[in-house]
Amino acid sequence: MKEFKAILINELIKTMKRPRTYIGFGVITFVCLMLQAAFYKDGKEILSFVTQQFENVFNIEGRVLNGNLICFILLQTLIVQMPLLVALVTGDAVSGETASGTIRFLLTRPASRTKIVLAKWLAGLFYTLLLLIILGIMALVVSRFIFGEGDLMSLNSEGLTVISGDDINWRWGYAFLIAFLSLGVVASLGTFLSCILDNSITPIVSVMAIIIIFTIIGMFDLPSFDVIKPFLFTTHMISWKNLFEDPIPFQDILISIVVLAFHILLFISLSIFYFNRKDIQS
Amino acid sequence: MKSVTLFFLLIISSSCFAGDDPGTLIRNLNKKFKLINDYTAQVYMQFDIPGVKMKSMNGKVFYKQPDKFRIKAKGIFFLPKQNPMQQVSSMLLDTMSYTSVISGYETIQGKNCAIVNIIPLKNTSELILGKFWIDLQNPLVYRSQITTRNSGTLDTESFYSDRSAYALPEKVIIHVEVNKIKVPKMMAADLNKKSKPKSDPNIKEKGTIILSFSNYKINTKLDDEVFIKED
Repeated sequence: MKEFKAILINELIKTMKRPRTYIGFGVITFVCLMLQAAFYKDGKEILSFVTQQFENVFNIEGRVLNGNLICFILLQTLIVQMPLLVALVTGDAVSGETASGTIRFLLTRPASRTKIVLAKWLAGLFYTLLLLIILGIMALVVSRFIFGEGDLMSLNSEGLTVISGDDINWRWGYAFLIAFLSLGVVASLGTFLSCILDNSITPIVSVMAIIIIFTIIGMFDLPSFDVIKPFLFTTHMISWKNLFEDPIPFQDILISIVVLAFHILLFISLSIFYFNRKDIQS
Repeated sequence: MKSVTLFFLLIISSSCFAGDDPGTLIRNLNKKFKLINDYTAQVYMQFDIPGVKMKSMNGKVFYKQPDKFRIKAKGIFFLPKQNPMQQVSSMLLDTMSYTSVISGYETIQGKNCAIVNIIPLKNTSELILGKFWIDLQNPLVYRSQITTRNSGTLDTESFYSDRSAYALPEKVIIHVEVNKIKVPKMMAADLNKKSKPKSDPNIKEKGTIILSFSNYKINTKLDDEVFIKED
């Protein structure tokens, strides 16, 4: 256990020392600040895009543009982009060391290959967690500071749901947990591809390509796509949004959690399997 | 041209119901409205709007003659653009701007009501036609149907109890017709949901907003500041 702890700490230090780790933090901070500034300036016009269907009949009273809505929009926007940032770090966790040759030194340590892969995977998850914490601070805390608190008018394809501001903090908590699980799948996929490929760029690009293809499949309502959609992890990555419906479709959320957890387990098991059999030649 | 034709039709039909004078009925009703300079009340709002899911909520209502009206509540809520609580009294009190005719009689909530049609004298008015079901015994508006140029038709039912002397309702049911909200799947980012079959965007669906009033406080000299909406 001590040995594993030492490898894990070493992996965490390595992760935090790499400049690309901070690209993700910088991107999240920049995108959040940029969108917050845009909403601060033009938020009402942007909102009227959604509410115009009602405006002939109703006056919408109360503070619609608030921190909760901004956080919802930011999370909805970034959850599709964040996998790319996760892939940037986790995609070359093993392959980067294979390419540079440092993997041989790593394997001279008494720790088993399984422990090395697990340590790298956990370091990737830690980075993912940090990314989400930064997103949480920027999207929720900073947005609430700028725009204030209030009810959330959440948007889904069936219409609008207004969630009371008093009933929202627990939803955010679980939403970020599901988001972590979703990005955990990407981190696991990145680790897996990193184990089977030998250069640092290909796994990163492959993760990105998979996510882009799966997302495109999810966007189109074609009968042939409908068959495979439930099995794609990208379909379940936005199940955090279900927490902002009324009533909450707990069964759908549970199914998504199971699918995401299954993917994590599958990818990490495959990573361990491949890495243990990998012939290190470099 | 349409409103002129409507006007003549209503004049002709009114001859059938010459027994009651709409002017007297409205004057008696206006006497009640004039008793109130301002009021506040607690309001409980229930919403059933197609395409919108929202919980019921409590609020406080403020009114000041002639047409200042506001509901303050913690949170987001929807109110019809043409608010009957604000418009009915101000519309009926402005007796110089319309002509009125009785177009029929109907029993509403067990009350024998005259259907009084209000037709604006100016063609440029936002109001096209106002129909008010007014109790003949104790002049109160039990039902109203207001048709405007920009906001369509709004149907309202009012229920009275202890504040009927001031024509203040205990409950108002507002019936609205709205086009079903359609949010593009890509905009809603619902990758995990199937799009529903496209429905005709022009088909309107019916919704209701129920406002239940309690704890009226009448003529408390309300400050105008309460009607200023902070951003």
